[in-house]
Amino acid sequence: MEFISPEGLRLDGRRPHEMRQLHAEVGVVAKADGSALFEMGNTKVIAAVYGPHEVQIHSQQLHDQALVRCEYSMAAFSTGERRRRGKSDRRAMELSLVIRQTLEAAILTHLMPRSQIDIFVQVLQADGGTRAACINAASMALADAGIPMRDLVVSCAAGYLNSTPLLDLNYIEDSGGGPDLTVGIFPKLDKVSLLQMDSKLSTDLFEKVLTLAMEGSKAIAEYMRQMLLENTQKLAFARGTLKR
Amino acid sequence: MLSNKSFVRKTRHGRVIKVVREHYLRDDISCGALFCPQCDTSKAALRQTAENILVVDTNVVLHQMDLLENEIISDVVVLSVVLEEVKNKNLSLYNRLRAIIDNPTRHFFVFANEHHKDTYIKALAGETPNDRNDRAIRVATQWYQEHLGPSAKVILLTNDMDNRSKARESGIISETVQAYVQSLGKPELLDLVARSDAMDIDKNEAEDLRPNKKAVVYAEHKVMSEITAGLHQGRYHQGKLRVNRYNPFVAYVGSESVGEEILINGRQDMNRAFDGDVVAVELLPQSLLPGSQAVKIADRDDEEEEEEPVGLVPASADDAPQESQVQENSQLTGSNRPCGRVIGIIKRNWRQYCGSLEPMKMPGGSGGNVHALFVSADRRIPKIRIQTRQLANLIDKRIIASVDSWEPNSRYPSGHYVRTIGDIGDRATESDVLLIENDINSRPFADAVLACLPPLPWSVSDQDLLHQQRQDLRNLCVFSVDPIGCKDIDDALHCKLMPNGLYEVGVHIADVTNFVHPGTPLDEEASQRGTSVYMVERRIDMLPKPLTEDICSLRADVERLAFSVLWEMTAEAEIVSVSFTKSIIKSSAALSYVEAQARMDDSRLEDALTADLRNMNRLAKIMRQRRIERGALTLASPEVKFEIDTETHDPLDVGMYQVREANQMVEEFMLAANISVAEKILKHFPAYSLLRRHPVPTPNMFEPLLRTAAAVGVHLDISSSKALADSLDHAVGDDPYFNKLIRILATRCMTQAVYFCSGELSLPEFHHYGLAAPLYTHFTSPIRRYADVIVHRLLAAALGLSNLPPQFRDRSTLTSISDNLNYRHRNAQMAGRASVELHTLIFFKNRPMDAEARIVKIQSNGFIVFVPKFGIEGPVYLIGKGASKIASGSTSECSWVVDEEMQTVRASDGNCTFRVLDVTHVHIEVVEPQPNRPKLQLTLVS
Amino acid sequence: MRGLQFELESGQQRRVSKAQERLKDAAGSVHAAAFVNVGDTIQVDHEAGFLRGHGTQVVNGELLATVCGIVERVNKLVSVRPLRAKYNPETGDVVVGRITEVAPKRWKVDVNCRQDAQLMLSAVNLPGGIQRRRTAVDELNMRSLYEENDIISAEVQSLYQDGSLHLHTRSLKYGKLENGQLVTVAPYLIKRLKQHFHHLKQYGVDLILGCNGYVWIAAPSESGKSSVSDTPMDLSNDHGSEMSSKRSTTLIPSAQEDGKRDLSDDDKVRDSITRELRERICRLANAVRVLAALGLLIFVESIIDTYEVSLSWDTAVKDMLAAEFCIKIVEREAEHRDKKELAI
Repeated sequence: MEFISPEGLRLDGRRPHEMRQLHAEVGVVAKADGSALFEMGNTKVIAAVYGPHEVQIHSQQLHDQALVRCEYSMAAFSTGERRRRGKSDRRAMELSLVIRQTLEAAILTHLMPRSQIDIFVQVLQADGGTRAACINAASMALADAGIPMRDLVVSCAAGYLNSTPLLDLNYIEDSGGGPDLTVGIFPKLDKVSLLQMDSKLSTDLFEKVLTLAMEGSKAIAEYMRQMLLENTQKLAFARGTLKR
Repeated sequence: MLSNKSFVRKTRHGRVIKVVREHYLRDDISCGALFCPQCDTSKAALRQTAENILVVDTNVVLHQMDLLENEIISDVVVLSVVLEEVKNKNLSLYNRLRAIIDNPTRHFFVFANEHHKDTYIKALAGETPNDRNDRAIRVATQWYQEHLGPSAKVILLTNDMDNRSKARESGIISETVQAYVQSLGKPELLDLVARSDAMDIDKNEAEDLRPNKKAVVYAEHKVMSEITAGLHQGRYHQGKLRVNRYNPFVAYVGSESVGEEILINGRQDMNRAFDGDVVAVELLPQSLLPGSQAVKIADRDDEEEEEEPVGLVPASADDAPQESQVQENSQLTGSNRPCGRVIGIIKRNWRQYCGSLEPMKMPGGSGGNVHALFVSADRRIPKIRIQTRQLANLIDKRIIASVDSWEPNSRYPSGHYVRTIGDIGDRATESDVLLIENDINSRPFADAVLACLPPLPWSVSDQDLLHQQRQDLRNLCVFSVDPIGCKDIDDALHCKLMPNGLYEVGVHIADVTNFVHPGTPLDEEASQRGTSVYMVERRIDMLPKPLTEDICSLRADVERLAFSVLWEMTAEAEIVSVSFTKSIIKSSAALSYVEAQARMDDSRLEDALTADLRNMNRLAKIMRQRRIERGALTLASPEVKFEIDTETHDPLDVGMYQVREANQMVEEFMLAANISVAEKILKHFPAYSLLRRHPVPTPNMFEPLLRTAAAVGVHLDISSSKALADSLDHAVGDDPYFNKLIRILATRCMTQAVYFCSGELSLPEFHHYGLAAPLYTHFTSPIRRYADVIVHRLLAAALGLSNLPPQFRDRSTLTSISDNLNYRHRNAQMAGRASVELHTLIFFKNRPMDAEARIVKIQSNGFIVFVPKFGIEGPVYLIGKGASKIASGSTSECSWVVDEEMQTVRASDGNCTFRVLDVTHVHIEVVEPQPNRPKLQLTLVS
Repeated sequence: MRGLQFELESGQQRRVSKAQERLKDAAGSVHAAAFVNVGDTIQVDHEAGFLRGHGTQVVNGELLATVCGIVERVNKLVSVRPLRAKYNPETGDVVVGRITEVAPKRWKVDVNCRQDAQLMLSAVNLPGGIQRRRTAVDELNMRSLYEENDIISAEVQSLYQDGSLHLHTRSLKYGKLENGQLVTVAPYLIKRLKQHFHHLKQYGVDLILGCNGYVWIAAPSESGKSSVSDTPMDLSNDHGSEMSSKRSTTLIPSAQEDGKRDLSDDDKVRDSITRELRERICRLANAVRVLAALGLLIFVESIIDTYEVSLSWDTAVKDMLAAEFCIKIVEREAEHRDKKELAI
């Protein structure tokens, strides 16, 4: 299948190095301590963070750091075909684990011993790149909850189709069968906390695709920082600042 | 730069699924005019000097491709909406259009109007997709005119009246294709313009040419929605129509919903479907079923009656008319094969056809527009009515024509002339026809391809010598054994007795991949050609001549680069170890099979080379024996060899190809090398190896063989290849040729071996039935097969000598490559066979002769004979029109009793009986029952 | 607007953003550079040296923020204060909490903190006087004092290194809360003030603004009795009366008797809360909710102000959470601050 026309446009009109349109909102879940909605084109993900709070199951309590839990789910209406999806199917379990591990690396858990942080991520609409969108949403929700982190975690996917590295694959491209690489980075510290790819790719190409995904992540990071800053300012201005 | 517009689309996929896709509109899409001051002109193609900038609509592309391919049409804007529609409707036309666009001298430009912010439109409420696309084309045309300003004249070419009038309303200059071509003032171009309804002025004119024929009116095709509904309800059945190669009035539709092939009998029921079309079929009620005699050789339809042609023996089940096998099955089981009739065509498979015009009287006043009937060389294709102004030029030429439409009230499809190949009957022309019909690219290599070759004269450089990974094997006594006159020597051998009593045996293959690098035009071209094609009088190379005959060819006494497989073998031919390396060799002798055989047989010769040959031959015999014990089949194919006049290239003599021990020796080591390489690459690339498999034939493919064998009292066990091989060994008749004949019959029951990507199948399916090898690939002929080039690269990557090219890491790419290779390989074989047939024809044209023949099959009106000497096979008619006047049955009243079950034919007076595999004598001559279609005719000689 | 569920029309949307714009201008005092995101570098004078405070980390000699918030500098100490975060306790804070668990010799209390706070049995006043020894019997009867899901007011007694905090209720004004509504808001909206207990005489309603963002609005506990008053109380004076008034029970009642009396007691109190009083409580609670949703600072004056405005606009209690009222409050607030700025 031809994913990029010889004129250099992808099926949806983007060029190979272009990302889909981003949209993010903070504070979308009233009862949560932190929450965010993150959209990459038609992929829409909502994340809510509760905590840190008392550990619910005492035996799981860690006396020197916080316990981070993550639950990923997909709304029944998230895909074209309506289907109820369990939270415990293999894919969901795997994604929960991936998201948790990626974020746990950023959270300064040692500052919050004996407590627990719950992250709930739900895909509202799936159009490829859900993994990256989930991590971005959760990362923003954590920042909104005021949980101390080493750095923001930003994730972006990139793939390789028709002998071209493509940034931010959508669903059709994702199902094209080519390699799909998801990377999660700390933009400021320039470190990688997630790197996933299920197929084989030669090292030089891998390098190219990885670089592309990292660049994409940095662009997303810029956007996320801006949204978070706006949010902080809005809160601060509404409250009226304390004069010092 | 991005703006976002998502739209909702509903698709039917069993259920209704809502599909939401993003659609980004951009402002950075260039208009493609070289003179445009605003846009980026780096990729622009449209010239200011052009008189007009043309915008074409979808139907123009779909119907007038031959015109677009003509040089005169240039500076054309192809809108992405048009491109997309063409792609969905007809992929081959899309590829042709792409080829034009890619050609920089044609000045075609693709404008992505669907993603341009000013030219994207949303469908209005109630607007059909077609109307919406037409509007999009108009909007884009208008945009062009406004964007380019008055300096350029933008013309919308469309044959749709409604579209044209709407365009004119909004101020767009719009023309029909005919009007535009006329305005160019080149009348001969009008022949290229496809006929459309609007210009189909006088239908009667064509009919008048055949006054004794009344118009055959076909049933209207059902509308698409009805077909879809019918398919859904199970009233209709969908499948690909295949016309019987030997009888164009019978076709079959393989339908999944029915589970077996549906028989379509007669042009009426075929209802304007062509071979290869995807059609919807309605089953006929049982009462209308024609009896089992329906499968008699020809239709009752007028003088177009067809007979089974005399041709070469089918090499495998793929070539043999499979229908007839199935047919016989159904006859045995009581003939309840479903019959049907085509009620609609889902997808056309029209292409360009080679053929000639039916001879006709020259109408008065040359240069006028006349209708003529085009007769395709492919018998499955009906005659095509074309219009031409140059009848006098075309009448004795082989030409190419393509089909435009087939109206229900027209007996024949209408089409148009595309180009001329050459004079009818000219050997070169007929050869070209074969190449074109088999989709073989015989054009000389492009400059870009030739530019990839190393400069000549080439010799092994110091760099090659010093290369760490290249082993210097020049000290070995390497030699090659090939057919006489072989110039592209891609394999060489050596054999050395080592001090430890083991033999070191090496197979050295030309290191083609050292010169053909992935991604280069040379590689692309080779990958497209897939294989060299061997015609009787010429060879169409996969790689340019300097490579095949010089740089890569492992000729004697020159240093050459090679890729070597080296074994250590015991004297019992047990492989102790195997290694692979790139190497430098210097062949000490380029022997022919005859020479090699002579050396081995000549007991006086005691030189080192001969000793090596004998050693190898001994090892090869053991290996061969072991292979046969494993169950490898020794099959036979009646290959013939022509002696060609060096000047006229006409065949002088023909004879069976002789297989010597030397051939088998070389073959044995090549097989071993291929198997060793297959194991190696599969180990390293379990999902990305290119292998070759030979599927196990299904029992019913053996049906005809078993029946024939049973008729002569031979029992064959087909339960496994081993069992078959054994029973073939035991099938020894009273004459020496009997066994070979049985083997020939067995060979044609099998399908061809095919290339495949190892990731697509599971390990048990990799099996090669004919060779009884669990793994097999092609490694030994990279000069003439592209599959070997791929395998070379895989092996090099497996050895860590180079990186695996990225496209090999993609399973789907590899699969599409292997599909292409299979296609090219099959076509090359077909073309080769057709070439032999052509030469057989030329050979017999001036020398009708008698020859010994064997009956291979008895059928209702005669029998099929096989002439071993010339490798030809064809029918001998006893009953019916084509019946031969045999001396014994001197009058036409003589009748024959055919017993198909027992495979015997008896004369009613009982004094003459023919049984299958009997020896007869036939007379071979060339007749021309239909103009421009000469064929061989076999008649019985008492 | 967190916590309120309504769709804004485009006109309303415009008004909101305009008001927010005005709020931004009005605030004025925070420099844009004072806001940082997670991972942002904080400018510090490296030569003079700095002390790393909360919400920061040092990576390769650079001071980075670990939360989104406002940079605060006190001498050499540089810290980042997040806005939305869990309650960060300080000793002496008045908090409202909910008992989550009765554990050996302690209650666990949810105070919107990283961990549940601990209220030791030794940190409560037991009937019978402060000097009483805690016996095993007392331990067994802890539930008769506070049981699960009871809401209490308390004071932060001490903080520990591992993040745990201890409360005490050793004062008359602390203890179990009844007959009211709990509204939870983000802790950053509540300022630490001298006074967190309020008796709003004009409405006859008690208000506790817990530093942890839990706001308690209730009918006054027992008629006329002001355990909650405008003036701070002398704690030592009132022990006796607290005991008698708040809970005139011994710690070891016969189970049957106790149950019965409690029941009748509760009924009596419930009856005593009139419909008008309930409405006033609800209106106050909604005022708090609206302020919280708008992110405006919550203190007695702002609550009363919102309450009064809602009355003067004739807004029904339920309509206070609708879009129109919220927008008007923002606009009013913006105007208010504009004026203040002018005055300055």
